[in-house]
Amino acid sequence: MSESKIAGLHRMLENKEISCQELTQAYLDAMERDNGSLNAYVTATPESALETAAAVDEKLARGESIGLLEGIPMTLKDNISTDGIRTTCCSKILENYVPIYDATVWKLLRQQNAVLLGKTNMDEFAMGSSCENSCFGGAKNPHNVNHVAGGSSGGVASAVGGHLAVYGLGSDTGGSIRQPASFCGIVGMKPTYGAVSRYGLIAYASSFDQIGPITTNVEDAAIVFDAISAYDEMDSTSQGRQGEPVCRTLKNDIKGMKLGIAREYLDGVRDDVRQAVEQAAEVYRSLGAEIVFFDLPALKYALPVYYILACAEASSNLGRYDGIRYGYKAESYSDVNDMIKKTRSTGFGEEVKKRILLGTYVLSSGYYDAYYKKAQKLRGTLVSAFSDAFRSCDVILAPTVPMTAFENGHAVSDPVETYLTDICTVPVNITGLPGISVPCGYDAKGMPIGMQIIGNSFEEAKILNAAWQYENAARIYKPSDFGVKL
Amino acid sequence: MVTKEEIMKIAILSKLFVADDEIDGLTEDMGKIIAFADTINNAADEGTDFDHINHLSNVLREDVVVPSLDREKILANAKDSDEGCFLVKNIMK
Amino acid sequence: MKYELVAGFETHVELATNTKIFCSCTTQFGGEPNTHCCPICIGLPGTLPKLNKRVVEYAIKAGLATNCEIAEISEMDRKNYCYPDLPKAYQISQFDRPLCNHGYIELSNGRKIRILRIHIEEDAGKLVHSRGSTLVDYNRGGVPLIEIVSEPDIRSIEEAREYVEKLQLIMRYIGVSDCKMQEGSMRCDVNISVRPVGSEKLGTRTEIKNMNSINFIAKAMEYEFNRQVDLIESGEKVVQETLRYDDVTNTTSGMRGKEDANDYRYFRDPDLVTINVPRSRVEEIAAELPELPAQKLKRYVEELELPEKDAQLLVKYRKVAEFFEKAAEGTKTPKTAANFIIGQIFRYVENEAEKEAMDIKVTAESLNELIKLIDNGKIRMNLAKSTLDKMLETGKKPSELISESDMAGLDENALAELCQKAVEANPNAVADYKNGKEKAIKAIVGFVMKNSRGKADAMAAEAKIKELIG
Repeated sequence: MSESKIAGLHRMLENKEISCQELTQAYLDAMERDNGSLNAYVTATPESALETAAAVDEKLARGESIGLLEGIPMTLKDNISTDGIRTTCCSKILENYVPIYDATVWKLLRQQNAVLLGKTNMDEFAMGSSCENSCFGGAKNPHNVNHVAGGSSGGVASAVGGHLAVYGLGSDTGGSIRQPASFCGIVGMKPTYGAVSRYGLIAYASSFDQIGPITTNVEDAAIVFDAISAYDEMDSTSQGRQGEPVCRTLKNDIKGMKLGIAREYLDGVRDDVRQAVEQAAEVYRSLGAEIVFFDLPALKYALPVYYILACAEASSNLGRYDGIRYGYKAESYSDVNDMIKKTRSTGFGEEVKKRILLGTYVLSSGYYDAYYKKAQKLRGTLVSAFSDAFRSCDVILAPTVPMTAFENGHAVSDPVETYLTDICTVPVNITGLPGISVPCGYDAKGMPIGMQIIGNSFEEAKILNAAWQYENAARIYKPSDFGVKL
Repeated sequence: MVTKEEIMKIAILSKLFVADDEIDGLTEDMGKIIAFADTINNAADEGTDFDHINHLSNVLREDVVVPSLDREKILANAKDSDEGCFLVKNIMK
Repeated sequence: MKYELVAGFETHVELATNTKIFCSCTTQFGGEPNTHCCPICIGLPGTLPKLNKRVVEYAIKAGLATNCEIAEISEMDRKNYCYPDLPKAYQISQFDRPLCNHGYIELSNGRKIRILRIHIEEDAGKLVHSRGSTLVDYNRGGVPLIEIVSEPDIRSIEEAREYVEKLQLIMRYIGVSDCKMQEGSMRCDVNISVRPVGSEKLGTRTEIKNMNSINFIAKAMEYEFNRQVDLIESGEKVVQETLRYDDVTNTTSGMRGKEDANDYRYFRDPDLVTINVPRSRVEEIAAELPELPAQKLKRYVEELELPEKDAQLLVKYRKVAEFFEKAAEGTKTPKTAANFIIGQIFRYVENEAEKEAMDIKVTAESLNELIKLIDNGKIRMNLAKSTLDKMLETGKKPSELISESDMAGLDENALAELCQKAVEANPNAVADYKNGKEKAIKAIVGFVMKNSRGKADAMAAEAKIKELIG
């Protein structure tokens, strides 16, 4: 497809080179054809998509101008609540759950006539790095369907990378936007905690969760971020975007910008991934930026801190699935307690149950101080370490994942080793900082490698600027063979 | 080291059943994860006080009533309901 | 051996806000099941709480009125336990850093019952068990509560009763709750232990949960005190447990042991941010507080010179006190207004709820008008009393009930004439008086008063009669 960027499609719609209904139909047809291979979508919403498209076409026919995201086909991860549209978190426990209200991000986009094609696959309750913990089976990598799309927002990454949506919104608790974006060779950004409202995002770990864009290119990420980063009175932790729209500074010169590389981020990273990041540093030097190296010893605490705190919050957040008000309910039981336990034991998958147990353990009496409280203090240590780092650099450069997308069913069996794949992504969730993953190369098998640019609090504009300059100079992105070809 | 008894105890708190054939594998997995978590438990670093992820305070709402939702909507996702209430049959043995 | 009761209270008070603590649904009592609900009330996935400003203000008021320190920084925590009436499987409450700390309530015997803390939290929904099934209604879920936790400073059932009554009165005075125990807007858990008189060591305590009547509290405590003393005297041990009081059998019994021992896994709620109450805000709220019952009582006795017993009757209900103050305003002796209220008006507002509402036909302004007529010598006490009765029946003002001629009094001739009539009509009384029965004259004066419809001056009439009988 020659045009898959938001601004380009917007021009085509405005110039009536294509109608919004034709555009939408093209995506719906591609979904029909390719979703069997990619398993990106778990729910398609063709009727409402075409309805919205028709409304946009009418506006255009009346000669009215349309917004940048108006009429652009997109998708939402299946943990973002959509009024009247099934939202499952890819869990049996919510298999038939239909929200009665809209998440704030969807409300914002719906008001702009975004065309929702459907809801996309994910690891159950966003817990996982492969998308294989989905009750619908995992989403596949559009660069090679024998490989996973990554997780937990694997469905969004697969759909966007496979051109079954122009863009999508995922959620990122420990890397769930950036990791699948990296695996699928596209762009994914986790905004600063508080920049985007969490209202309506089905919680995994409340102090880590953040919604963000998954797109094929940096400019689209900036456009979508500008559209969804608004203060929301429904979310007490919401602050909205601080400063002017990020699109305005996207293409600024980065001469003199200081990019920091922490040695600890490169430890244990596969050679080809490290080399790709080092080459990206060279590209930055050629653009007039400066590379500075520094130490970040606190990074060694990041993974245990993340798993302790995120699971503690999850154990509490997931307590509400008791079968009474919504979701799956056990068929036969002896009393209410038995009903609740049967519902939860059958409704939750293995990984979710494991994390609930771990979270309960670290909060239970006798263990709280050693685990939860200690982890909370080390979270403080990490916050100060990063804030110190930003005194000597503007942004931090790091790999997104220490490897590339693994083959289906090849997720490591050892639970701790599985968690280790999150080593490069969890620090920004712990510290609340913004991070973006952009493609920076391919491994020997042709699977994409991603790198991460991390910014200081509410400095999305800076990381997007750095990412755009690199993308424009390095030209790494290769579209997959799937999806819409106009 | 995590014991089977501890796993059973937290399973009860978590409202989860652990089947007999799952308990050994789960205990082993949990043992590994807890041992991994222990790396911070044993960390020499005392840590820094952590308040809240985004340091906000006094985010408050005015005390003004907004109409509630229709009851049909409230009950729409419940598997069982009766007399306008969510229903759990046979709570008493 | 003599034993002493040691008790502490955990009192839940529902705050009289318009909306729930974390969403904008109404807190109105009653309503069809699940009609005061929104996605937040029923804990739908993805919903988030937003704290009601007035809840914080009311809790600060409650803290100030019970002599607490107001924490500059406080936080919301999650108390995790799974039960069908709790839609999120955690209650948002305060654990580590409550809003109010270290207060007290002073009892009439001079003892101070220390208050450990007051924190804000959300109420749970309601479960109705019927025909072997459970129905769940979340209308009450999310209604704001404060929990007032006392130290175990209570030493008798009388003190317990007074503590609860004082708490109820204070909360009503400052307007943060109606504290209707029968509707559940005030509920008490009581911790009880016993120990030999003179011992410093606390005994093993039991906790009686969720009582919603002061009489039940008194009865339950008495039963539990005796039960524990009997156990100890017979060499057995008191077991630490949670009890339920049955008002029909007047006994306490252990609540069915839950499968899981309580482990609430408290942790800070990441969905809510810090509550920061600067000193200046506390001072503003303190300035808004009305005069509290204890201060009022003191003022009524010391400044208004009311008998303590009367003053207590008046301060016991905020509206009664307000009525009294308006009725007594600008009158010669506040005692007159007090007497009218306690002697006559209280016959129309007999029970607690009626006194609480003070829903009567007479306004304080009308009573004030009536008392001023007495003060100015326009009418006599007898006429005033009968007029007040009529006012209470009809709601009319004194000016509508008392005519000009009533107020004019009797001129000397008319009085003389009436006295003459009285002497003639009461020969027996006249004879008695002449035979030295001084009191007999009262009957003759009474005749004058009755026939003048209270207009005559009793003193003047008596003098005139004495003159006539010679």
